[in-house]
Amino acid sequence: MTTQPDPADLSAPAQAVLVESASDHPGPLPEDTGGKKGKNRSQFGDFWRRFKRNKLAMTGLVVVAIMVLLALVQPLISPYDPYDQNLLNALQPPNSDHWFGTDVLGRDLYSGMLYGLKLALIVGLATMVGSMTLGVVLGAIAGYRGGFSDGLVMRITDLFLAFPYLIGAILVVRTFGSGVFQIILALVILGWPTAARLMRGQILALRESEYVEAARSIGASDTRIVTRHILPNAIQPVFIYSFTGIGVAVVAMASLAYLGVGVPPDTPEWGRMINQGIEQVQVAGKDFLWMFPSGAICITTLAFAFVSDGLRDALDPKLR
Amino acid sequence: MGKFVIRRLAQAVLVVIAATLLLFIGLFVLGDPFASTGDKTVPPETQAILRERFGMDKSLPMQYLTYLGNLFTGDLGVDFNQRRDVSDMIAQALPATARLALVAIILDVLIGVVAGIIAAVFRYSFWDVLVTILTTLAIGIPTFVIGIWLRQTVSGFWIFPGVPRSFTEVVPWYQEVLLPAITLAIVDAAFIARLMRGSMLEVLRTDYIRTARAKGLGERTVILKHAFRNSIIPVVTYVGISIGILLGGALITETLFQYNGVGFLLVKSINQNNNPVIMALVTFAVLIYVFLSMIVDILYAYLDPRIRLS
Repeated sequence: MTTQPDPADLSAPAQAVLVESASDHPGPLPEDTGGKKGKNRSQFGDFWRRFKRNKLAMTGLVVVAIMVLLALVQPLISPYDPYDQNLLNALQPPNSDHWFGTDVLGRDLYSGMLYGLKLALIVGLATMVGSMTLGVVLGAIAGYRGGFSDGLVMRITDLFLAFPYLIGAILVVRTFGSGVFQIILALVILGWPTAARLMRGQILALRESEYVEAARSIGASDTRIVTRHILPNAIQPVFIYSFTGIGVAVVAMASLAYLGVGVPPDTPEWGRMINQGIEQVQVAGKDFLWMFPSGAICITTLAFAFVSDGLRDALDPKLR
Repeated sequence: MGKFVIRRLAQAVLVVIAATLLLFIGLFVLGDPFASTGDKTVPPETQAILRERFGMDKSLPMQYLTYLGNLFTGDLGVDFNQRRDVSDMIAQALPATARLALVAIILDVLIGVVAGIIAAVFRYSFWDVLVTILTTLAIGIPTFVIGIWLRQTVSGFWIFPGVPRSFTEVVPWYQEVLLPAITLAIVDAAFIARLMRGSMLEVLRTDYIRTARAKGLGERTVILKHAFRNSIIPVVTYVGISIGILLGGALITETLFQYNGVGFLLVKSINQNNNPVIMALVTFAVLIYVFLSMIVDILYAYLDPRIRLS
């Protein structure tokens, strides 16, 4: 920690920043600042100003927003049913009817790509929410309680982290059968230990801090201390990590599908499309089959990684 | 220190045993390797014979204990498909993966260190910006995608053998290893370049570098002789960790390039429900990971006494 400068030495805006950074949780500001509209600098406003300055992060955010929008309206803008086969029309290069061409079964690739986008985002988000929830709760219990609960949770994370991510995911999916839900389950099982460890480390550091001691001394309950005082301060790294986690989950699903594990064989999914494009179809000049899906995976992960980096820089300027 | 090492060792053994138990439950209790799946039908009598042959008619705890016992004596059993010795299969695949890991590490250290030094020495120059952009992309773009792009554009040209190719085509190992090694090296090279740049910049600010410059040494000597030695330390730590990842995790890359290492063997075994091979290979990967993280922990404890006491 750097030493806090004396507020009296600073200009008015700097004072505002200092006062706010000293308040513990985000959320509504105290009422006495509510009167001065326009000069009101909320924590979110500060964060947003810093985030906006980062061009890479803004690009990532715009791309993510466009992808979410496309996934939401996917059934409306797909020109064809992504499952509709038309063998007479197989392996068409991109043209005005089929913007991204057609696959080996004559299915429209543009519609398939949109469907794949929806799948990727659903799996990415569900995995993120699932592993973050599990990780935050268990990590918080381990870090705050210590002792036996800590030992137990940490040994379980040791166990799951000992399996390489992809290998572990394959084994889980294989055990529970193929399907989107099974993939999410597998990725959550393999993903939560990282979040739990991050969370535990944060809590351990904050547990002994003075303001927590103060809360304890005025008789706040453990639940209140953890949820109201520790969590808001400890959640940041986990929150930042979760955005990278979405990208990781998207790549993991595609890798699983490429290896023939996970979604059913005829699902329009990016990894499946790549598998079909480079393993099954060995015809010259059909490069569009793998170019679109691999490009989409690349753009998705880059976008989420940039947003994650931007969040880190904007939320915690010290880390830069 | 001795107490810490013993506690850490006990922990590692416990994790390995729990991992094999989990693996056993997943493969043999919740899954049935001889069941009819999809287009493959196995008559019940055949299933019974197969179960007896592989000792799967015994009670489950008995099977697990037998497996664990065999593991300690180094007996990995025979595979389900062609009754080959699993140890032999691994012994055949392991050198290829080791070669791949070695070439990948040599490539990523060479590229990463040189790029990092250039970026640090010519800070904020065109080259520094270029290295920053390239490392951002290399870290952001998944290895899977990089592998696909390399395979579809480069393989089959110049010194890079085509993928896939016929069994009759003989390719020397140093050509076969090139593309998968480059694929694996790209991410690590980017991380190493960043590490190297950061630590080089830090070292260049120190007093002994100023002294070296003050006594009139040439810039080349200052950087390559004085600064280099101290700034390479974080890179060495990173390489140590990444060896384990390369040995255990080259699954996708080996499969993409149909490179006959342990990763590709594992993928093939998973597709064939070849449980003995899966058990052995995943246990192997777990062992490597647990062993390496134990070594790292012990090293840290040795260097920082505070960790020992917690």
